[in-house]
Amino acid sequence: MSGQAELLYGSRAAAEVALAATPFDATANDTVVVADAEILYVLYEMPMARALERLPVSLHPSVPALLGFTFVRAAGGPLGPFTAAWHGIACRTGIKPRHLVQGAFCDSERVSEFLAARYGFACRAAAVTLRETFDRVRGAVTLDGDTLIDLAITDSLPLVGAGALIKYSPPLNATTLGDAPTLVQFEAGYDFKRVLRGRPRLACFDASALGDAGLAPTTPIAGSHAVVDLHLMPARFQVDLVTPAEAGGARKIAR
Amino acid sequence: MKFGLFYELSTPRPFTTENQRAVIENAIEQTVLADELGFSSVWCVEHHFLEEYSHSSCPDMFLAAVARATKNIRVGFGIGTCVPAMHSPIRWAEKAAFLDLLSNGRVEFGTGRSSTWNELGGFNAVVDDTKRTWDEYCRVIPKMWTEERFSYEGTYFSMPERCVLPKPMQDPHPPLWVAVTAPGTEFDAADRGMGALILSIADVERNVPRIQEYRERIKRCEPVGAFVNDQVAIANWLYCHPDDAHAKQRGEELIATFGYMAGQTVEVSEAYPANNYSALGLLGSLRPDPNAPGDAKKPPASGLCFGDPASLVDTISRWQAAGADHLIFMVQAREHLPQADVLESMRLFAREVMPHFSGSSRKVAVGA
Repeated sequence: MSGQAELLYGSRAAAEVALAATPFDATANDTVVVADAEILYVLYEMPMARALERLPVSLHPSVPALLGFTFVRAAGGPLGPFTAAWHGIACRTGIKPRHLVQGAFCDSERVSEFLAARYGFACRAAAVTLRETFDRVRGAVTLDGDTLIDLAITDSLPLVGAGALIKYSPPLNATTLGDAPTLVQFEAGYDFKRVLRGRPRLACFDASALGDAGLAPTTPIAGSHAVVDLHLMPARFQVDLVTPAEAGGARKIAR
Repeated sequence: MKFGLFYELSTPRPFTTENQRAVIENAIEQTVLADELGFSSVWCVEHHFLEEYSHSSCPDMFLAAVARATKNIRVGFGIGTCVPAMHSPIRWAEKAAFLDLLSNGRVEFGTGRSSTWNELGGFNAVVDDTKRTWDEYCRVIPKMWTEERFSYEGTYFSMPERCVLPKPMQDPHPPLWVAVTAPGTEFDAADRGMGALILSIADVERNVPRIQEYRERIKRCEPVGAFVNDQVAIANWLYCHPDDAHAKQRGEELIATFGYMAGQTVEVSEAYPANNYSALGLLGSLRPDPNAPGDAKKPPASGLCFGDPASLVDTISRWQAAGADHLIFMVQAREHLPQADVLESMRLFAREVMPHFSGSSRKVAVGA
């Protein structure tokens, strides 16, 4: 039985991975700090088969397969006010968990351009909201009057002490670097000021309108709402789209 | 210093009958050889839903098979999960006592609470309560063994008066252990008078203060059992070969295989933020962090037992000086090594390394 083992890889052909229209700009070398940003981060399980269909061979799925939602809101700061959202499938290359982004939205053209050039996000212009009310923290994406995503966390509890942080899996975005397709990893640091954990409530996830009818959140895991000083650092890592995960892994972006 | 084996029963895809049976049969063959060679213990994990990484969902059954195939080697739960959604404490008391009779008094009882969403989510367990349920289990299980009839009104577990049967063979009961992965859990073990089963595979030097603090703290313990088990066991790897470079290369392959399997799982701390899971468990702690400044490949941990006999004598001497009582070895990962190589590694280790440490055990625990 010793020898080459059968491993669990994604199966999507590299040519079928949609790339961001804006090429990734590897020249950025400064860190932008957004004070008091809010982050809503919610994880659901999803069917393994559907995760494998959407991950390229360079990525392994997590087991169980997960679909993660992230909303980021800033009331002001160096990029101006904005709310952005993205959702992605948990994956790994090497063995660190990441999320392969399946869709991204932003209500600020300036920030959309920033996220595209810096990290390869392909944000669609949409009304994106993140609001904390007395009993929930709710994030929503609305496009042309239609709600695409509407989720919340409720029954929230504060996390304190050593537990007052969230281990965000960094997003990976399919984009081009030079002329080559690649996955660029979002690079950020977080100074946590307040962290809540809550129970996820998904009011709307319009997979068809999001462009992928097969994307299906199933079992809710947990959600969190954090207030952080968000350090948007230069991207440092890229992942090949075609090299099998065991032979590939994240490597530093040449600058 | 005592030596044991540690089993995850990691299984290669596809999960055919042939592959699954081979893992179990090979492991049992290794334990039989270990018994003949003078290894002191065999430990088996309890895991659920951990594809490839561990198909050991029924450690009591594996250990029962080992017990009936061996004569002297002790059989340890490494660990039994103390989470109500998975087990009642009554069932743990029964299974451990039954195995103690079946093995002629050779059981070591390790306890823990799981660190993956795979498992806790899969059983719909209350993640926030696992530390507290573990604590309650540790306190009631020894009483189920030692009291003729037992009743209890607790926070997470209650039962009317019953005679929990069978009673174990070891008097007063099998030694109790705690799986130690997250920093600080060694204090939990010490405070309760339980052995520390340290599963964070790491450098010798990093474990020195941990072991020292455990030793100091257990002097002031309030034991949950009928006696104090102040032993420290360290999970480790073993591949012994006359060619040191070859052994280390094979060791790196085992670590890489293990890392692949470990990385596939979802740690609680990555999915379900909770104050009782702020640190990564064993699986997560094995993940090298490519985000680290410098992005340099980490050197292998200094305490891993990959090498020729001379280098292993040196490594184990450092573990002994650090205060470890047991080293318990993983000898395989997803059947990466041919079985014959694993067995030969064990034979070489027993022949040329173990004699250097015979007669040097600390005599500490009643029943050990």
